[in-house]
Amino acid sequence: MENSAESINYYGHKPSETVEDREKKLTPSPRANKARELYFGAKSSTSMEFPYWYTRRWDELDGEIPVIRRAESLKAGFEHLTPVIYPGELLAMGKASFLRGSYPMPWLSEAFFMASEDKLYQEALESGKLTADTFTTLGKGGGNVTNSSGKVISIAGKFGVRVEEMPVMLEVAKKWKNRSVDDIGHKYEQMVPAYKEKEAIMRSVICMFDSGYTLPQGREVINYYYPLQYGIDGIIRICEESMNEVAGFPEMDRLYFYKAVITMLQGIKAWIRNYAEEARLLASLEKEEKQKAEYTEMAERLDHISSDPPRNFHDALQMIWTFHVAVLNEDAISGLSPGRLGQVLYPFWKRDIDGGLIDRGKTIELLECMRIKFTEIDCFASMGVVGGVLSGNTFNNLCIGGLKKDGTQAANELEMLILETGISCETPQPTLSLLYDEKLPEEFLMKGIECTKAGAGYPAWVSNTVAMEFLLNNYAHEGMQTEEARAWSIGGCLETSPGSWMPLNLDGEIHWIPGGSAPATSVGVHFISLPKILETVIFDGIDMRSGERIFPSHGYKLESYDELWQGFKDYFSRAVHVLTLTNNIQHDAWRKISPSLVNSMLKPDCLEKGRDLGQMGARYNTTFNVESCGNTTLINSLASLKKNVYDEKNFDLETYRKAILENFGYHTAQETGSYSLVDQKPNEHHSEYRKIHRRSLDAPKFGNDDPYVDALFKQWEEWFCEMTHNYRSLYDQPLYACQISVSTHGPMGAVTLASPDGRLSGTTFSDGSVSAYPGTDRQGPYALFNSATCWNHSQSQNSQLNMKIHPSVVKGREGSRKFLELIRAYMRKGGFHVQFNIVDSRMLKQAQSDPDKFRSLLVRVAGFTQYWVELGKQIQDEVIARTEYEEL
Amino acid sequence: MNTCTDCKFYLPIDVFKGLCKISKQDILPDDAFCDKAERLAKCRFCSNYTAEKEFLGKCMSITLAYPDMNAVSCADFKWISQH
Repeated sequence: MENSAESINYYGHKPSETVEDREKKLTPSPRANKARELYFGAKSSTSMEFPYWYTRRWDELDGEIPVIRRAESLKAGFEHLTPVIYPGELLAMGKASFLRGSYPMPWLSEAFFMASEDKLYQEALESGKLTADTFTTLGKGGGNVTNSSGKVISIAGKFGVRVEEMPVMLEVAKKWKNRSVDDIGHKYEQMVPAYKEKEAIMRSVICMFDSGYTLPQGREVINYYYPLQYGIDGIIRICEESMNEVAGFPEMDRLYFYKAVITMLQGIKAWIRNYAEEARLLASLEKEEKQKAEYTEMAERLDHISSDPPRNFHDALQMIWTFHVAVLNEDAISGLSPGRLGQVLYPFWKRDIDGGLIDRGKTIELLECMRIKFTEIDCFASMGVVGGVLSGNTFNNLCIGGLKKDGTQAANELEMLILETGISCETPQPTLSLLYDEKLPEEFLMKGIECTKAGAGYPAWVSNTVAMEFLLNNYAHEGMQTEEARAWSIGGCLETSPGSWMPLNLDGEIHWIPGGSAPATSVGVHFISLPKILETVIFDGIDMRSGERIFPSHGYKLESYDELWQGFKDYFSRAVHVLTLTNNIQHDAWRKISPSLVNSMLKPDCLEKGRDLGQMGARYNTTFNVESCGNTTLINSLASLKKNVYDEKNFDLETYRKAILENFGYHTAQETGSYSLVDQKPNEHHSEYRKIHRRSLDAPKFGNDDPYVDALFKQWEEWFCEMTHNYRSLYDQPLYACQISVSTHGPMGAVTLASPDGRLSGTTFSDGSVSAYPGTDRQGPYALFNSATCWNHSQSQNSQLNMKIHPSVVKGREGSRKFLELIRAYMRKGGFHVQFNIVDSRMLKQAQSDPDKFRSLLVRVAGFTQYWVELGKQIQDEVIARTEYEEL
Repeated sequence: MNTCTDCKFYLPIDVFKGLCKISKQDILPDDAFCDKAERLAKCRFCSNYTAEKEFLGKCMSITLAYPDMNAVSCADFKWISQH
């Protein structure tokens, strides 16, 4: 293939002429391959069944106790969902009646999917809620319905809805006006004294979205224990017995909660049985004996789990999948992670394999089918959220490794097969994270390396030690001790989440299985654009893109670096303050109007306490966070100003202001159509700004083990992680820092002028939180590691390091060993997370120009793997631009 | 005219296409009924449904409804007489 190495950032020698493919190639089972092909041809599709019935029932129950009304509405939605079972499936059930089905939830927010001329939409635009949508690019290929055509209407550039359903979608949406969580929350958030400042913050895209209602659950770890142990009828019995104990006694909300859980479970039972009925219909139509038998078995299995606990591994897998989808159907959720699934299911699998009921081949086939089902999950939300934050991803993170309750290593044979199927059946979901601990066996770690080398971007490697330290720092006041800290897992793409050990009793033997034990970490201040805050400091509170004043004048003359840094801290604190308050109000509206029932029922200790997640029913409740975006772009900018303006006095700040406004004499990214710095084109004024731009680019850059800039990074991290504790969540718990960019560095970069580090207007920010800016890490990976670990990662919920390595560098057994040693070195330095794209960047360029040939190409973005063709151009350009390591 | 989306053997893949549960062939939602087709329970085939305007109507003269909603699991569904 042709060499197109220009405009690619390399560390080390340039690669050979031939574009190199990834090393390991395994193929999925014929069944999984067929299912994946069906998936590749399917478009994201929306239907109105669930929201119609939910709304209809809600309206019938005006005046009822809210949690009962919610339960009845969920029940109506579940029991009216049309079942769809696709040929060859071993696991049934899905969110809606399409392969990639989803539906709007207007009870959360109704405005964003209204036609753009509609009054509701205009009102949302005015308040800044949709500004991020305007600057987001979605992938043009894959399953996205980017344009309306024929009888299909495109919503948010991703979801298709049949024209026959559009009128009812609008009618149902309008029924929620002034009643949705969004609208109620908005009514009361305006009572926060600094509310007008919040609106300006949203319009300037200093903050990406309102997390309190947009994605009110997610970035957390589900817990499958109760259905696995008791079955649905068993949970209903627990609730009935509890109702008898609490009826008429104080804390009456417990009575309504138990009643609501029973009602909701009746809806889920009906939903499962409708699927069983459909399986029987398909069996009756089927001529081919094997398929007929599979449909019959499926019907029997579904009937069984609609009442009783699973009898075997296949039942258990169907059960966990059913409840996973059930939670996703109660709210707009991204990042509902299955957690340490291989350890949860191991007792069932081990019993089956020892008893000769299943073999490894059948296990792999089932796990591959599970990968396809998880990949089918779509989340219906606005373009700014689906594209700008999520890149169409749903972040179902499956974790492997870590430690058991007793502190011994937890990896098992089933997890080896989970890694194997991650290679043989590459799909974005579930993504994998390996909880690295020094106690894990070498064979397991090498299998992890084999999987990472395969190039799908997983497993990510995360430090068990750092995570446990973070958890003990932040949850000790809620009673967490070392033993329980070991039950942690990743929720969403990279959110360290607390867990609990639950006693699964199989045949009289207790197996301690881990599961999530806290509500969403998807709620808080999400995301704050650090470079945009710095921009407003430089321009004394004004967003120069729009000319709007965002913050009052800071009053500093900015004559010293300390003043600049103080100005940054002041504005950042103002933003966090007002966004925390408005978010708390939004989420309070959510817990009152639309409380979680399915997820609450699953999470310890909601059933024991008789309280849902919004009433602090969970064991741990310190989950709100402040998320940052553009860490390294901020630090490189501060370093450039410190050096060029304050230390060496090469330019004054006014000269920088002019250069920023003139984009250093370049066309903007929007004008060039590329969002990568290396592709930008100078304009006729470039010569005026050549010197200041050169000096800005040459200023010290993070990622090179340079104490000048690393000291600024450390100063930022220590201040940021500490200051978040000054703010209180809705549950009166301190917030903490969360440092992942997901995809926000694309749209947030798009609205930000040139920055003092030499980055140009509209181009993406640095990704992750401790990644180097593309092309600026020139001293090799170990220098990057030294910079990244210049602060203590356990102060934050996470840190994120993304690296790109050419496939030839890690080739063969020797390459694998070298690769493992590299990861070990980072973990031993105190790094929390590192993930890799093992790819030749020239292949990505080819895929960008000829996407149809690369439908199945997967890349790692920031905490998630996604099909290349479903990524927006902003993120595609950024992934291409990342430094490609040609030697380690 | 009845189309594949009105048939109980239509398996939707997405808003553009589906599969026939009998033949397992790719079909389009707007393809005409074949000789094996059987009507699916939908609001517009229900005697409780009253059309009001394009793609919208009422259920039992009270509640908002729409003609193409699947009513397989609706307890109040009653086939209109011409079925």
